[in-house]
Amino acid sequence: MAFWQLTRLRVVYPIVLLFLLFVDGSLMSGMGGIFTAFPWHILPVLTLGWLFYAVQFDAETDMPFWLYVILIGVLFDMYYTGIFGTYTLAFVSSVAVMMQLHKVLDERLLSGLFMFLVGLIVYLLVTYVAGFITGVSSVGLTAFMLFEVMPTVILNVMIAAVGYYPVWSLFQFLR
Amino acid sequence: MRKIFSSRTVVTIIIAVIVIVGLIAGSNWWAKRTNTPPFIQRFGNDLAGGVSRVIAMPTNAVGRTANSIGNLLDTFSENRDLKSKIDEYAQNKVRLQTIEEENASLKKQLKLQATLTDYKTVSAVTISRSPTTWQSQLVINKGLNSGLKKGMPVLAGAGIIGRISEVNTTNAKVALISDTSEEANRFAITIKGDDGDVNGIVTNFNREKNQLIMGQVTSDNKIKKGDLVKTSGLGGIIPAGIFVGTVTSVTKDDYGLSKQINIEPAADLGNITTVVVAVSEIGAQ
Repeated sequence: MAFWQLTRLRVVYPIVLLFLLFVDGSLMSGMGGIFTAFPWHILPVLTLGWLFYAVQFDAETDMPFWLYVILIGVLFDMYYTGIFGTYTLAFVSSVAVMMQLHKVLDERLLSGLFMFLVGLIVYLLVTYVAGFITGVSSVGLTAFMLFEVMPTVILNVMIAAVGYYPVWSLFQFLR
Repeated sequence: MRKIFSSRTVVTIIIAVIVIVGLIAGSNWWAKRTNTPPFIQRFGNDLAGGVSRVIAMPTNAVGRTANSIGNLLDTFSENRDLKSKIDEYAQNKVRLQTIEEENASLKKQLKLQATLTDYKTVSAVTISRSPTTWQSQLVINKGLNSGLKKGMPVLAGAGIIGRISEVNTTNAKVALISDTSEEANRFAITIKGDDGDVNGIVTNFNREKNQLIMGQVTSDNKIKKGDLVKTSGLGGIIPAGIFVGTVTSVTKDDYGLSKQINIEPAADLGNITTVVVAVSEIGAQ
């Protein structure tokens, strides 16, 4: 493999995806005082944000995208929870919903952010339902929507908006 | 009418749902049964822990700076309160040292080995925290190599914050007491009431009120707001005398048959940068 091939999207994309998986955990740990200040429970979901960019900028045609989605879900389950299935399903269903929406919506920034918003809600709802299966859920749906879904969506959509054009340029460069 | 899904898609979705629900329930059951995860999972977790340690350095630094700025704003009032407490603290410390010495010499005379209050500590640093809806777990930088075992209590700041839920070779996961799963916060506690102690276990955590719940209490001993709650040491793995929190209210349970004691945890579960794992000398024997 020549050196220039290392700068291709199919190489750079999964490395950044893996990196962001750990960044999410580090942010949660480093900023835990702010993110989990009672009664809030805010999650940094940069990993899903990176998957959103791939869907929005049609990068799935350049690489084995679904394989990366499943692998990152399995790794997330293994490292963060030790219970397999929950986050793999959450990542897969969120990306599947975003892809279906992408077919319907146009390419504008606001349409993209709306797609990410729906993807995030799907992601969080899957994890909420999985909590009932494993018997660890302790919060009613209203409190969950108010104190977790709403702030998480606001934070992550804002981050996605800030990174939108730089990431678009990066994808153009790497193609 | 046009079909939204083909029959094949419906069958695939149903099978996928069954497999995934089975996988979630199965791996949850397996994780509860075993002390350490299978070799491949442990190897993967150790590797991921190594990467996470490097990435945690800058983000933890940013987090620490943000917290320091937050702390700075409270400094004046905090300093005034602390000054009033410090004389009392010095006096208690001297008294504690005297009592500890007396206790050690009495134990020696009675030829007692380790008791429920004896424990060693292992310090560790938080390298990551799971960004998950439920089961918020910490990853700490000590594991099997440092003698950690599943179920050991973990302390930070003022009191207990959780228990070790999974041990890998070089790192371990800590399930926080704010987690409602059984392995996280079902530990034996005791409350010093005016007429005597009330023993029981933590039965739940109310995330909407940020309170631990000690349910099914039938004792008639009077418990009031502000009473201190500590671990009782019953069960063996968790030593006695670890501070848990203070009583906020006592209510009747749903059927009116027993009491439910609501406890505010002493430890701040938000900022946890360093932790101490308490290794009971009785449990270790």
